[in-house]
Amino acid sequence: MLTTMRTRLAVTGSIALLALAGGRGVAAAQGAPKPVTLLNVSYDPTRELYEDFNRQFATYWKGKTGQDVTIKQSHGGSSKQARSIIDGLQADVATLGLGYDIDALADNGLVAMDWQKRLPHNSSPYTSTVIFLVRKGNPKKIKDWPDLIRPGVSVISANPKTSGGARWNYLAAWGYALRQPGGNEAKAKDFITKLYKNVPVLDAGARSSTTTFVERGIGDVLIAWENEALLAVKELGPDKVEVVVPSVSILAEPPVAVVDKVAKKRGTTAVAQAYLDYLYSDQGQEIIAKHYYRPTNPTVAAKYASQFPKVQLFTLADIVGDWRKTQKTHFADGGVFDQIYLPAR
Amino acid sequence: MRAVHGWAAGIVLGLATVGLVQQGVAQQDSTKGDTVPSLESRVDELDQQVRVLQRLRELAADSAAAAAKDKVTATASAKDGFSIKSADGKFAVRLKGLVQTDGRFFLSDSAVPVTNTFFLRRARPILEATVGKYLEFRLQPDFGQGTTVLFDAYTDVKIAPAFAVRVGKFKPPVDLERYQSASDIVFAERALATNLAPNRDVGLQLSGDISSGVFTWQAGVYNGVPDLGNGDGDVSDAKDFAGRVFFQPFKLGTLAGLGIGVAGTAGLERGTTAAPGLASYRTPGQQTWFRYTSSTTTPVNNAFANGQRARLAPQAYFYTGPLGLHGEYIQSWQAVTKTTTTVKLKHTAWQTTGSIFLTGEKNSFKSAAPKKPFDPKAGTFGALELAARYSVLSIDDATFPTFANPASTPRRAKAWAIGLNWYLAKAIKVVADYEHTTFTGGTATGDRAAENFVVTRVQYSF
Repeated sequence: MLTTMRTRLAVTGSIALLALAGGRGVAAAQGAPKPVTLLNVSYDPTRELYEDFNRQFATYWKGKTGQDVTIKQSHGGSSKQARSIIDGLQADVATLGLGYDIDALADNGLVAMDWQKRLPHNSSPYTSTVIFLVRKGNPKKIKDWPDLIRPGVSVISANPKTSGGARWNYLAAWGYALRQPGGNEAKAKDFITKLYKNVPVLDAGARSSTTTFVERGIGDVLIAWENEALLAVKELGPDKVEVVVPSVSILAEPPVAVVDKVAKKRGTTAVAQAYLDYLYSDQGQEIIAKHYYRPTNPTVAAKYASQFPKVQLFTLADIVGDWRKTQKTHFADGGVFDQIYLPAR
Repeated sequence: MRAVHGWAAGIVLGLATVGLVQQGVAQQDSTKGDTVPSLESRVDELDQQVRVLQRLRELAADSAAAAAKDKVTATASAKDGFSIKSADGKFAVRLKGLVQTDGRFFLSDSAVPVTNTFFLRRARPILEATVGKYLEFRLQPDFGQGTTVLFDAYTDVKIAPAFAVRVGKFKPPVDLERYQSASDIVFAERALATNLAPNRDVGLQLSGDISSGVFTWQAGVYNGVPDLGNGDGDVSDAKDFAGRVFFQPFKLGTLAGLGIGVAGTAGLERGTTAAPGLASYRTPGQQTWFRYTSSTTTPVNNAFANGQRARLAPQAYFYTGPLGLHGEYIQSWQAVTKTTTTVKLKHTAWQTTGSIFLTGEKNSFKSAAPKKPFDPKAGTFGALELAARYSVLSIDDATFPTFANPASTPRRAKAWAIGLNWYLAKAIKVVADYEHTTFTGGTATGDRAAENFVVTRVQYSF
C-alpha cells in the first residue's frame, strides 16, 4: 500500500515537473492572440508584389483578429523553391510559378491532392503571359517568335529545369511553332532547338535572367514574364528598353496553396488560408494589378486593362496537356529540353 | 573555375585589342580595309562575349556559394572528436572516445594480497548526435575491465538554456566528483565519498542554466539505485527523486572560479533477501572493503533495503589561476532489514582535493589544455599538475553487528593521496598516483591492513 502511494507520488511528481514546463504556454494562451509568423515561399519575380501585399494583409488581419502577423518571404526559381519545401523548408504557403511545382508538394504529402479546387480559378489568383523585352530602338528588329531564331540574335531566358517562368517561355515558343500552319511536334522541336542555340546564358531563375539582360547588358531580347518586362520598362524607362508583344503567347497561371502539413504543425492553417483568400479580395486584386500581374477579378481586370498589351493567348492544355504530362515530356531528365540544349562550352 | 573564366575574359579582351590594332594597321596599309560600321559590329560582338563570360563566372560563383551553404563539413579535433556536421549546424554526428590503460600496484599487501596488474580501466567509444534545433543524443558504452556496461544512453530536448529535458540513462545529479567526466578527474580513481552517490540511473530529468552558468539546476525522477549503483531497471515500484542547485555567483574577478551547491535524493527502496538492493563500498584501489551481511548458503539471513533512502550532498569548488580545490560532504540514509530487525542507517563521507599546475595552466573543473604541448624537437613538454587529496567514509555504528560482520568489515576508511598528472596534449594524459587508505576495524583482532595503492595511467581521450 505504502509502495503504491509512493509510486503515485513519483508519477504525480513527474507530471508536476512536466506541468511546470508547460505552464508558461498555458498562461500565454489566456491573453491576447499570440503573434504569428508565416513563410511565403514564392518564385523569382514576385518579391515586390508580396512585399506590398504582405503589408496590406498584416494590417487587414490585425484589424480583423487583433493578431500581429509577420510574413517572411523566400524567392527563387519556382521548381528549386518547391524542392526546398520538400527538403524541409517550413513554408506555410507556396505561391509558385506553375502548377507542377505544387503537384510535386502534393506528391510528397505536403499539400492536399485536390489543392487546385480549393480556391477560385484553379487556385490561381492572377495570371500572366510571356512577352519580349528588347533594347531601345529594337536594333535587331525583333517583332515575333521567328526573329528569336535568326542567326546573330542573342536571346536571354532562364533554365526551364529550375525556373517556372522559363518553362512558360519554353512552352510559349513551343506553342507558337506547333500552332503554325503545318506545325507539328518535330517542327516545334526544331524551332526551340534553334532558339536555345541563341541563348548564351541560362540563369536559374527569371529574376536572375532579367539581371543578365538589363543590368549586365547581355543579349538582344529577354523572354520574360509580362509583369517582369513591364516593371523593367517602368523602372528603367522607355529610353533603355522596350516591350515587344509577340503575335501569340501562353496564358500563364501561377498557383497558390497552403502547405497543409507545415501549417498544421505550426498551427497557422487559419491565417495561411486567410492570406491566400485575401489575394482574391478587391484589395488583393488591386495590389496584383499594380504589380503588372493580370487580375482574375473581372472588375479589377477591366479597370487596369489598358496597362496590359493585347495578345492572343493559348493555354497549356491547348498545346501539350496537363502539367504532369508536360513535365514528363519536356522537362524531366532525358526530356525534350535535355535533348535539344547543349550548354555553351 | 573563377580563375579560368577570368583568364578567358582576359584572353577575349586581349584578342579584341590585338584584332583592332591589326585591323587598324591593315586599314592604314590598304584602302581595302573593313568599314567603320563593320568594326563597330565586331567590337559589339566581342563586348557581348566578354559580358557573357563575366556573367557565367558570376553565376558559377553564385552556384558555388549556394553549394557551400549546403556543404556538410567533416572535422577532427581533440575537443569534439570526429564529427560530421550540416552547414547550418543543426545536424551533427560526433564520435568520441576514452581509453585508460593502468598499471595498478599494491604495496605491502601481504595481509590482504591483491594482484598487481596492467588493467584496461575504461574503453569507451562515445557517439553523440544533434538532430534539428532541439534534440541531442549520447550513447556511451564501456568495454573496460573485461565487461560491457552501458553508461550513458539519453536524449536531451534543449528547449532553451534555462530549460531542458533529459530522458534515458545518465548520471543522477548528486556527487560533485561524479559530475566530472572520467577523463577530467584529478586522480585516477574518485575519492571515498563517491561511494555514497549513485553512478548511473534511468529516469527523466529537467535542468536549466541561468545567466550562463551563474545558476544551474537539475531535478528529476529515477528508478533509484543503491550507492555507487549503475542500474538499467528497478527492483521495486518505488522511485527516487533527485535535485541539485549550483551557484557560481561571481562570473568575473578573482572569485570567478567559485562554485557552491547542494544536491539530494529522496525515495524508497524495497529489496529482498535474493535481490537486496544494497551497496558495497570500494577502496581507491577498487577493492571491496564494506558489504552488508550476505550469504549464499543461508540467504534468508541476508540484509536488504527496506524503506526510505535519501542523500544530502553539499559541495563546492574554487579555481583560480593554476590552483584548483574541490570538496564535498555526503550523507546517505537507507532503511535496512535483516530478518525482523529494521534500522535506518546513515553513512557519512567527505573529501577534499587540491591541485596546482606547475607549468602555469589555468585550472578548472575540466581537463586543462597544456600551454606548450609535448614536442621535444621544439623543446616543449606539456603540462604538469601536482595533486593531493584526503577523504573519509564512516559507516553508521548501528550497522554492526546486525547488518555487517565487524570481524571482516571495517567501520571507517580514511585515505590520503598524492598524484602527478602530465598532460602531453589536450587528449593525452599520463597519471601517477599514490593513495594510502587506513581502516578502523575489519578484523577479529583490530584494524584491516592499510591499502597502499600505486596507479599509473595513460589516458587518451578525444
